[in-house]
Parts: sequence; C-alpha cells; structure tokens
Amino acid sequence: MLDDKDRIFTNVYGFQPWGIDAAIKRGDWDGTKDLIAKGQDNIVEEIKASGLRGRGGAGFPTGLKWSFMPKESKDGRPSFLVINADESEPGSCKDREIMRHDPQKLIEGALIAGYAMRARAAYIYIRGEFIREAETLFAAVQQAYDKGFIGKNACGSGYDFDVFVHRGAGAYICGEETALLESLEGKKGQPRLKPPFPAGAGLYGCPTTVNNVESIAVVPTILRRGPSWFAGIGREGNQGTKLFQISGHVERPCVVEEAMSIPFRELIEKHAGGITGGWDNLLAVIPGGSSVPLVPAAEIMDAPMDFDGLKELGSGLGTAAVIVMDKSTDIVRAISRISYFYKHESCGQCTPCREGTGWMWRMMERLREGKADISDIDMLHEVTKQVEGHTICALGDAAAWPIQGLIRHFRPELERRIREYAGAGEVLEAAE
Amino acid sequence: MPKVTVDGIATEVPDGATVLQACEIAGKEIPRFCYHERLSIAGNCRMCLVEVKPGPPKPQASCALPAAEGQEIFTTTEMVKKAREGVMEFLLINHPLDCPICDQGGECDLQDQAMAYGKGHTRYEMNKRAVTEKYMGPVVKTEMTRCIHCTRCVRFAQEVAGVEEIGAVGRGENMEITTYLEHAATSELSGNVVDLCPVGALTARPYAFEARPWELRKTPSIDVMDAVGTNIRLDSRGREVLRALPRINEDVNEEWASNKTRHAVDGLYRNRLDKAYVRKNGKLETASWADAFAAIAGAAKKAGSKVAAIGGDMVEVEALYAAQKLLEGLGSKQIEGRQNGMDYDASNLAAVNFNTTIAGIEEADAILLIGTNPRWEAPLVNTRIRRAAKAGAKVFVIGPEIDLTYPVTWLGDDAALAADLPEDAADALKAAERPALIIGGGGIMVPGLQAASLALADTYNLIRDGWNGYNVLHFSAARMGSLMLGWAQPGGTADLAAADPELLFLLGADGVDFEAFSGAFKVYVGHHGEQGAAQADVVLPGASYAEKSGTWVNLEGRVQRGNRAVFPPGDAREDWTIFRALSDALGNTLPFDTLDQLRDAIAAEFPALADEGLAEYEWAPPKLSDGAPSGPIALPIKDFYLTNAICRASETMQRCSAELIHGEEFAEAAE
Amino acid sequence: MGLFKNIFIWWDGATIGTAWHSLRKGRFIAEDSSGNRYYESKKGPRRRWVIYASGKPNDASNVPAEWHGWLHQTVEDVPDQSLPPARAWEAPYTANLTGTGGAYHPAGALESNRARARASGDYEAWSPS
Repeated sequence: MLDDKDRIFTNVYGFQPWGIDAAIKRGDWDGTKDLIAKGQDNIVEEIKASGLRGRGGAGFPTGLKWSFMPKESKDGRPSFLVINADESEPGSCKDREIMRHDPQKLIEGALIAGYAMRARAAYIYIRGEFIREAETLFAAVQQAYDKGFIGKNACGSGYDFDVFVHRGAGAYICGEETALLESLEGKKGQPRLKPPFPAGAGLYGCPTTVNNVESIAVVPTILRRGPSWFAGIGREGNQGTKLFQISGHVERPCVVEEAMSIPFRELIEKHAGGITGGWDNLLAVIPGGSSVPLVPAAEIMDAPMDFDGLKELGSGLGTAAVIVMDKSTDIVRAISRISYFYKHESCGQCTPCREGTGWMWRMMERLREGKADISDIDMLHEVTKQVEGHTICALGDAAAWPIQGLIRHFRPELERRIREYAGAGEVLEAAE
Repeated sequence: MPKVTVDGIATEVPDGATVLQACEIAGKEIPRFCYHERLSIAGNCRMCLVEVKPGPPKPQASCALPAAEGQEIFTTTEMVKKAREGVMEFLLINHPLDCPICDQGGECDLQDQAMAYGKGHTRYEMNKRAVTEKYMGPVVKTEMTRCIHCTRCVRFAQEVAGVEEIGAVGRGENMEITTYLEHAATSELSGNVVDLCPVGALTARPYAFEARPWELRKTPSIDVMDAVGTNIRLDSRGREVLRALPRINEDVNEEWASNKTRHAVDGLYRNRLDKAYVRKNGKLETASWADAFAAIAGAAKKAGSKVAAIGGDMVEVEALYAAQKLLEGLGSKQIEGRQNGMDYDASNLAAVNFNTTIAGIEEADAILLIGTNPRWEAPLVNTRIRRAAKAGAKVFVIGPEIDLTYPVTWLGDDAALAADLPEDAADALKAAERPALIIGGGGIMVPGLQAASLALADTYNLIRDGWNGYNVLHFSAARMGSLMLGWAQPGGTADLAAADPELLFLLGADGVDFEAFSGAFKVYVGHHGEQGAAQADVVLPGASYAEKSGTWVNLEGRVQRGNRAVFPPGDAREDWTIFRALSDALGNTLPFDTLDQLRDAIAAEFPALADEGLAEYEWAPPKLSDGAPSGPIALPIKDFYLTNAICRASETMQRCSAELIHGEEFAEAAE
Repeated sequence: MGLFKNIFIWWDGATIGTAWHSLRKGRFIAEDSSGNRYYESKKGPRRRWVIYASGKPNDASNVPAEWHGWLHQTVEDVPDQSLPPARAWEAPYTANLTGTGGAYHPAGALESNRARARASGDYEAWSPS
C-alpha cells in the first residue's frame, strides 16, 4: 500500500489545474538546474540504481537503455529522445491522465532524460485520437518555453533542449518504437528491422531512445527523492510505483498509482471497490492490457502485480492495464474481440502477422459460436505458434498470446461450445 | 572476414554480409520472396527464417541479420522447417489457386517454393481475400489478389527507377499495392517490376495470355533500342518473338531493361518488308530477288564509283562491313553511319566514346551533363548516374530542364555555358577526385560544343590516372560499331550529298534528308517499311535484330554479339547475305560465304571487333578549332517510345507514347 | 415416289419390302412434324418402326427425341399424349448435321468461312501506297 507522501503523480485525477503555475506549486521544475548539474553519467547511474523498468510494457531497465546512447557524436549526428505517447493498448489509459493533468512532469522528465542521454531534442509522439490531451500538451510545452525551462539554456543550465509534440494519425502499430520513428519521419507506420537498434540509428538515422510517457515522467521525482527511495518500494527487480488502470467488472474502475508488487486482491479491494458480485464471481483477469494472456481467477487473486510475479503465471504486467472479467463475461467473445483488434491493427508488413491475425480472428469467431471441430482448437493453437516469434515486431506475439492464454485456461469452455453446437445440430436434424 | 558455420560447413564470408549471403556462399538455398540482391532489405516475407546461435531461441530472418564471427547457422532443423511451412501456409491462405490461368505459372517463385517448402495441404477453410484491380499502365498488368506484399516493386520504383509512384495503402490484411492514385506508372523502367514480382500479381500486359515459359525458345541477344546494348533474352515460339527479358550483365544493364527494350518486340510483326520491290513507272512493285539485283546492277553500271551508303541506327557490324566492302569494290569510300546528319569529329574513337564505362560512372563524384536526357537516351545509364548522385556526386546540367530522377543543378540551356562554366560547377569539377562529363546527342550536334567539351576535359583534367571522365552518350545501337568501321565523313551526310552519288545504299536508314539525294538511285535494305523504303527505287527485305546473328558495339565501346532467335519473314534475308548476293550480281564477289568467314575478315581488318568485350581506344582527342558554341540546346529524342522503326511499328510502344508521354487516357478494356 | 426409284434406291424412303410389310402387318400411328411416318405391328410381339419422310436420307437422327422414346418403347402412348408439352425454351429438333453443309466447324477450321485466328509468326507486311 502506497503512502500518499510517496505518490509521484499528485494530480492524476485533475483536481488541480494542469497549468505550469499549479505544477510548480506541486513541486515540478523545482531545482531542475541542480538535477541537471549532477551530470549525465550520474543521472543514468541513479536511474539504474532506482531499478526503474520501462513502463511501456516490456519492462526493460530504463537506465540501462539510456546508457546505450553514444557518449559523444562521432560524425556530427545529434541524438534524440522520443517519448511514446501513442497509448493505444486496449485497457491502457495512464499516459492520457499524465498528459492532461500533469504534463509538466513529462516535460521536465524529457529535459532531464534528454540531457542524460545527450539528446538534442525530445519528440513527444501523441496518439491521434487524444485531441484534448494534445491541446493540453501543446499549451504545456509552450508554457515551459515561456518560463525558459526548455529551449535555449534550459532552466539556466546552459543546455539547449527542445521539445516537439507530434500528433499521430491513429494507428496502434505506431506505438511500436520503430514504427513510431517511421511515422514521425512522415512515412507509413511500419516497424523497422532490428538491428540496427534505435540507439544506433533511430530517428532520421540518428541515435534515438524511445521511452514511455510514464517512464520519463517519473524521472524528476526519482532524482529529487533519491533512487533508494524509489528502489525501496516494491519487490527486488520490480521496484517503484506504477499507475494501475483498473477496468471491467469492478465496482469503481479507476487509474491509481500504487506500489509495484501489490497483491491483486489488495489492489482491487482498496481502489476499485471489489469485484462486482464478490470475489467468487471473478472469472479471469487480463493483468496488463490486451496483449498479455489472461489469468484465471484462482491464480491471479493473491498474485503480486509486478513484472516477474505475473510472468510466473504465464502472463505479464504489460502497461498494468488490469481488465477484470466476472462470470457474466463471454470469455471467448472477449478474446475474439481482442483478436479482431489485432487483425485490424496489423500493419501488413510481414507475412505471419498480416495473414495470421485474420485467420486467428476468423477461427475465434467460429469457436465463439462453437461452429468448429475439437481439432480446430489445436490447429488454432498451432497457428498462434506459427505467428509468435516469426514477425518483425511484437504485434504478432501480442496477437497470439491472448488466444494462447484462452486455450490454456479455458479449453473446456471451448469444447463445451463445440459439443453444444454439434448437439444442437443433431436435435434439429431429428426434428426434421 | 567473419567465419561462420552453416549446417556444420565452415564458411568465411565478406564483411557486412548477411546470414542469407553466408548460407548462399556455403551452398545452402534459402527461400525468399522479399529479398533481392539489388534492392534494399525489407525483411517482411519471413520466408528466409533460419536458426542462428548465439541468438534468441526463435528463428531469425536471415536476409536482415548480419553474419557475425563464430555464428552457427542451421537451415535444416525442425524449427526452420516448421517456420518455413508456417510462413508458406500464411502466404497461401490468401493467394488464389489460379495457377492454371496465371501468366506467372511455370516461372513463379511462390509455386516453386510452395512445392519445395510448403506443407502440401491447406487447413484454411474460410474465404480468401480479393483485391480490386489496380491500373499500372500499358506495360504492367495487375492481378492484385495474387499479391503477397513483398514490396519489391515498391522498393524498385523508389530505389532504382527513382520515381515514387508505387506504394502500399491500407493496413494488415487490407494492405494493397498500388500506383499513386492508380495512375499509370510513368517510369521508363517500370516493366522491371514484372520480373521482380515473385508471383503473378504484376505481369506483362502485352504478353498477357500469350505463352507458357516452357514452350518458349530462349535466345541470348543484344538490344538495339538504345546504345546501352542491354543484354537480353528473346523468348520465341515458332516464328514469333513473344517477349524480351534482360539477361544479367553487371557491366551493362545489371538485370534491368527499359520498357522499350522489353515491349517493342511486337513491332517486329507489323509493317515488315517481306518482298523485294523495284520502282517501275514511279511505283514500287514487287519483284524477285533476281529482278531487284538486275535493277541495281543496271544503276551501278551507270553510277560507276559514284556510290554511297548510309547506315541506320540499328544495323549490326556485319552488314555495315559487307556493304563497306561492296562499295570499296565499286571504288567508293562514301560511307556514313550518322543518318540524322550529325557531323561531329569522329577521328579519334576515344573522343566519341563513353570512356568512364557504364558501371564506372557510379564512381564519379562530380558529373556535368551537356545537352543530354540520359533518362530517354539511355535509361540504364541514368540509373547509374542516379546511384552516383545518391552516393553524393554533384550533378550539373547544361540543357533543357527535365526531371532526371535525382537532384541536379541546372546551369541553363545555353551552349555558351560550356565554354564558361558557372563558378559552382567549375569548383565542384575542380575539387572532384573523379569528375566526369557526359555530352549527349543534343550537345554534340551544336557547332563548337564538341570542341568546348574537349576543352573542358583539358581544363578540369578529366583524364587522369585510371580515370577517363570524358563521355559521349550515343543513343543509337549501331553508332559505335559504325564509327569503328569508319562510317563517318567529316561533314556527315552532307559530304555524301556533296559528292552527288548516283547510287545510294540505305541500310535501314530512315531519318535521312532524302531531298539532298534526289538524284540518286536509292536501294533500301532494311526490315521495316518507313520513309526509307517509300523513297527507295529498290527495296531489299532484310532482317531485324531478332532475326540475325550480329555484333553490336555499345556506347562504351563494348563489343557484344547477339544470336538469331527466329527467321526473317517472307523473302527477307539477313542483311550481310543480301550484300554478298548483290556483289555476285555486280560481278564483284565478296570474299566470304559464311558468317564465320565474314567475322574472320572483320577481325583481320578491325582487331578490336574480333572478340566480345570492351574495345580499347587510345585517347588522342582531335585538335578542334574553338568555334564558340552558343544558342539553346535542344534534345534529339522527342518521344522516348517512338525512336526507331521497330518502336514506331509496335502497338505497345504507340500506346505507351500516347498514354505516358502525351497523357491520353486509356480506359482499360473490360475483360 | 416412282416405282423405279423405289426398287433401286434404298437410302430414301421405304424399300418395296418395307412398304409392303408396313401396309400388310403395320398399323399407321402418326406422322411427326418433319413427315416421318410411324408404324406399329398389328399383332404378335409389339414392334414399332418408322418410315422416314421422303426427301430426307434414311438417318436415324431424323427421329425427334420424343418419337425416339416411343420407337424404343420407353413410352406407351404417342408422345403427344404421354409426354408433357414442349416448353417455350426448347429448341426445335435438328438432325445430325455431320457431313452436310450445315455441319459445325470450330473457329479456325479450314471449312469455316471465318477469318483464321492469329497464330505465331503472323505478320503484317508493308506495302507501298
């Protein structure tokens, strides 16, 4: 349970204005010059020491990621920080809250992180559908410029740093870091082949780091309060605080900042008012946004909500978008809908994902009705295996995992539907 | 040089090689669709997956993975086999099973690889995707339902052709390849996407439903549509050439061919000369060979040594030589190969050659183009210049403003600029390590511009150790061959006219100023009936480039031989045999009876023409008086698709011209 | 039909034997639209036969489909009474035209007067105008 004093996002509900003056009152931009004065290597070391793992889903240690950036430009190419605000994962809504209620945290984080990786500028790639959020962010960046916090001689530190906000056009795949870079360059949003990794050749061929909004927004606070404070929250390897986004069949869906590794039951009881119809009514939980496999009720109830804890359950923390489903849920239909989402959002570049997502969705639709054969379940599982790990980016994996989770945990349900459909068919025939 | 092992075979690969290349070096075949040696790596078909250690425990796309020291690559493991089967299954679920009516059938990568690496049965029971038809212009026929989205065509258009016309729209399953707004692809190289397409999505429109690849006889030949000398393969069935495809020759055309090279072959079957004609009472009437020869013999008797010959743009060396010998027998040396009346100084072959070589121009770091549109005069040279420009070469142009597909600096179209280069161009040429100058047909026609360009070669030291940057860009396939044989008078055809010949041989020469020769008895030897045949007093039907074995010299002085693919129609004969037979009738028999004897005779007299390969010319530019060039430069080619008799007879080329150059709208014929 | 012709010609109309037999043992049933006359034996095992219309060669394909059925005893009664009426879309019956001027020739056959299909190696020759 996180104490109020340990909260980083103090205005996540928008009870106070988002403007820069209110943000300064809340403690943003306080002594940023001194933070910068720590020096680039020290900042990276402190972030490493804090144990901050990327909040975008993969959970890669942020400090380590920054340390991949070149220490000096050998050929005159500048470095860039790109902030991934293309939050399109079904179930996720944390970056949106940060950007519309606490944008200065993000901008300050961008300056410090950008300074730490010797970036010339930061690009915030904001999801196209976030219209009000983008307006807020544009205004917030302008306010920061007006105050002299960014731009030439940012915060009086002698470091020149620009922040640009770029609006996407609404494609889920542009949340993938290299597709985001392509889109930012004005091309079709399709993931690039790796290697080269963005740290070597990213935006416009220059060294680039792509970070999630939340990863960047927590940086100033970590540096102010010290890495040991941050590392002291949560389990070893999963430290810090995290914005959980609880949706689905709970009494009060909400976005809440909590300590990592908080047990699922505590998280729901404390902040979401419990499961509708009580804990016995819980069917399954998708703990990290649509791209992670679901976890059935019995396994999730007392599991710690962190990267490693959920990995042990065969799922993942993802963006901590907790989707709760009670027993009124048609679980097959829910997963089928997720499959449709991936079919719709596949960029179409590489074969397994382009062709496989459509196939998987159509199979899911048939399984939903039970209009299939028992062997089709195994075939579908094999198809998901044929997609997983064979694609350029992780969207193929993300499309395969929910179905694998469904088959792993709810195979009896699938078989029941098939039998019932077949049985109904027999009855009908007999009546004729 | 990293060392890797491929299926246990230790292999050393060049630096920067990919795993796929490493496998090829080790002799392991890797299936692929999107990967192409001459295009950038896309890595999107996922067919080339292999297992690599060390690495993540999943198959890796070998086309995009750099080979690294100590890698262990496996191409036959269960994981790889399953991965390939999986990808192939995915490719096939939305690919129509219309192989029996698909033009690609028999030369289809998907067909072959499905046989070799596929599962052999399908598990997909749902409906297949269908895609609405796209229009890609007069040479590319589309059937986009068959597309497997390898994006080779997109990358070709962007990277080689240099026009961003083809792209993908839509996402996921709905991704479709199309031209911009479904307009016709205007690039003169667009036909190459047909070869690149691994499936039958893009096929050749003029060749649609014509033949199956296995029923075609393939003959290696040389293209005569421009002076590049594209190495081609003529595919013929029975007596008809059905298509021309490029052969790989890294020094000349790599593996590309222009649309004209590919699709002008249907012009071989229209407007053909298939009988001899003799003019009687002012009208051409069909005649036997003997009658025609008798008529010529009569004229020759009257003419004595007042005989001349003009060579056309597509004639091979053998015919020119035979004609030359015939004239020598009659006591004349009045021969001229530049039918359109150009009169530049050709006394030194190196000074009228593309000395840098076609492949070599890629290395240039500063290029000055004078009066040329390489995009139309030699499209495949243009791709090389484009590559040089992409690598950082600065390109300056004196001449009319045109889109060359790469950034250039326009200096203006006044010929006087060549004598007095603007500062930026002069500085760039001076600073360059490998400066090059290319003067085209439009430039060299301007009086004094040849002298000015040779002066530039001196001023900027274009000829240095291991580098000759002085280039003349010819646009006629016969040009260098005829110049090597000496078919050039100082004053061009005007000199011939001045000598007032009484007997004039026209070897496929149509663009001659016939007014100047109104007094002469004209004998036209050629394959297409055009101006030349209409003006002639005797017409002798000859063979086109597809119908004879011949030697052509391309613009860089590369001697190349093509083979006969089919026989000439009707009474037509190979051109050199016509002159051989005519020499009998004139009582002055030429000393060769077979092609080999003829070639031996040529080799004895012109050793440079003895063997295929780059001929060497000594650089000894003529001392030309500095005629100050002035006035605007005009380009000689007004219509890329209609430059010679074969093109003009070709329905495909006429349609290309109307649609791509004159912008006429063609409704696609309803099928 | 003259007697002389009847004696010597067997490919047109009934021969004398058949005509005599038909007259004596046969019962005339009907004549179809093209003039073929159909007979049935008066007694004994029931046999049915046809005498082809005059002027047409004695060719079995002259019998229309419905009378073919009657001849082969597929139907008991004459076609008009035992078979449903002809549909509007049924084409009139034609005999086999092979060997006659109306025979079918595929496109490109030398006998057909249509232009020959384009073939490999065809070319348009130039002619001076």
